[in-house]
Amino acid sequence: MCTLIATTLVLSSASLLAHDMWIEPGTFSPSPGEIVAVKLRVGQDLLGDPIPRDPALINQFFVVDGEGRKPVVGRDGSDPAGFIRVAAPGLLVVGYRSNPSLVQLTPEKFNQYLAEEGLDAVAALRARRGQTGGARDLFSRCAKSLVAFDVPTNGQGDRSLGFTLELVAERNPTTMAAGEDLPVRLTYENQPLAGALVVAINRANPKEKLSARSDKDGRVHLRLPRTGMWLVKAVHMIEAPPTAGADWVSYWASLTFEIRDRTSTRSTS
Amino acid sequence: MKNLGRAIACVIAAVVASSPVATAHEIGTTRVLARFEDGRYAIEITTDASSLMEKLDSVAGSPMDATTARTDAVTMEKRLVTRDDAFRQRVTVAFDGTETRPETHYAVSPASDALSPVIATIRLTGEMPRGASHFTWSYSWTFASYALSVTNGGAAATTEWLEGGQASAPIPLTDSAPAISRTTVAWRYLLLGFTHIIPHGLDHMLFVLGLFLLSGRLRTVLAQVSAFTVAHSITLGLSIYGLISVPSAVVEPLIAVSIAYVALENLLLSELKPWRIALVFAFGLLHGLGFAGALRELGLPRAEFMTALLTFNAGVEAGQLAVIGAAFAIVGWHCRSQSWYRQRIVVPASLVIACTALYWTVERIAPEVSALGSWL
Repeated sequence: MCTLIATTLVLSSASLLAHDMWIEPGTFSPSPGEIVAVKLRVGQDLLGDPIPRDPALINQFFVVDGEGRKPVVGRDGSDPAGFIRVAAPGLLVVGYRSNPSLVQLTPEKFNQYLAEEGLDAVAALRARRGQTGGARDLFSRCAKSLVAFDVPTNGQGDRSLGFTLELVAERNPTTMAAGEDLPVRLTYENQPLAGALVVAINRANPKEKLSARSDKDGRVHLRLPRTGMWLVKAVHMIEAPPTAGADWVSYWASLTFEIRDRTSTRSTS
Repeated sequence: MKNLGRAIACVIAAVVASSPVATAHEIGTTRVLARFEDGRYAIEITTDASSLMEKLDSVAGSPMDATTARTDAVTMEKRLVTRDDAFRQRVTVAFDGTETRPETHYAVSPASDALSPVIATIRLTGEMPRGASHFTWSYSWTFASYALSVTNGGAAATTEWLEGGQASAPIPLTDSAPAISRTTVAWRYLLLGFTHIIPHGLDHMLFVLGLFLLSGRLRTVLAQVSAFTVAHSITLGLSIYGLISVPSAVVEPLIAVSIAYVALENLLLSELKPWRIALVFAFGLLHGLGFAGALRELGLPRAEFMTALLTFNAGVEAGQLAVIGAAFAIVGWHCRSQSWYRQRIVVPASLVIACTALYWTVERIAPEVSALGSWL
């Protein structure tokens, strides 16, 4: 069961210091042999800023297609952060796993962050312990994007890349039409994660967000009403180990894809 | 675009190297460079044009346009200009806590190739409030970390890392020249030139007195002072414009030698020789280099460079004439025709000047001599 929530765009000076991060390919529907730019974006409500390729930040950056796993190549310091060459027909899964970044948040901002990302368990734990201060959060990114060359069959769907926190589309979104149901599974350390807030945002109307809590199998069903680019995201937070130099460790999973407009054969983001 | 990429790679490397923890920051492609000079500020923002445009459209309530990323530079520039009011709402330029409204100029340069981003450069310019002591900046059109580099006057740039929307710490502006009028600049540098002779330039005062002592007639005094003035104006100008450069370690001892020479000549000769004016001209060239060193230390306002240079030189001239005027007032014109003038005035005064100048010569060649002197 997913719900539709309307929000206003928050792009203010009181912006949080930890934002969504997603992969935005130059096109979700490349032609055979096409070189596709793989852009990394950090922002809010799909309004993002480019993150250039940073070797210090990249833990894994690769693409999986029918032939196997290949690195996403690129020049350090450049935006777009990488490029892929689409050779074999099918669904390509682009994955970006970042190294952790440390952010120090004031009490107000940390509480706002917990509320926005639906991290109720952490908020409840802090309340029980009487923790009202700010916090140091060691966050990292687990971003994926689905790029389809040709029209793949439903069998050539998304797959698990083994990221710590990962969203896996259980149906090939590129074969879907607007208004259809997309089951998405959230895993943490390859196990289903229950009770997490999963949010879907469409590029054409980012103010309307779909959200749902994952069930005991880590699954949510998102009825995506529009064509175009979608971002599905979830955040999971755990207590930091004593040696981490932080209070909390958070993982930010994202999955971007496109639901094609059936009236046109090919579209771009 | 390759240069931008290399610059960003260097910035990333610098931040990573300076980070105290083994984590990395998500640094975007936005850069901000603020310059403060001659009472004006110029702030240059370079950023990804399409992501800025998308945010501006969004805030304005326009639907997200999937084609924004592929818009050409000229169209993008025109669209940015139409969003000027919205852009200003999330940019703060403040002096001493009071916001100021800058002039804005938008430029969008085409991408170097189809896969590269289009970059926008936004310049914010204006006059700093008189007496402004601190500058504060915030920019809320980026979610990523970015560098704010500040250049104050001729000083080296300092860089502060900011998150999108974060206000900078108040940045002191005390080193920069405040907004001042040409008249104020002229008066200030005239005084600086004058005080460089009286009371700070004892060496130059003794040199001018040396010229005065041996000149029996007012015309010869003025001829020597004029030759000296023309000469030092030449080297002062050439040196300030960077056309010649002589280290002060060379200039300063030679200035002392020139004073000693004039004084010794006063002792050895009883009347002016024809070469004296040529020598005075040569010494003037030398003293001009010394004035240039002093003026460089004082600093010249870029906007009123020529005004400051000319009035400083005029101030030096006024100082020299004041020395001669004072000497005439003390000694009196009448005394100069008396038989005892040479024995009682010229010789003892020249002896004192020569000894002082010789001491300075040694002192300026070997600073340890003065250190020894103070210890004794």
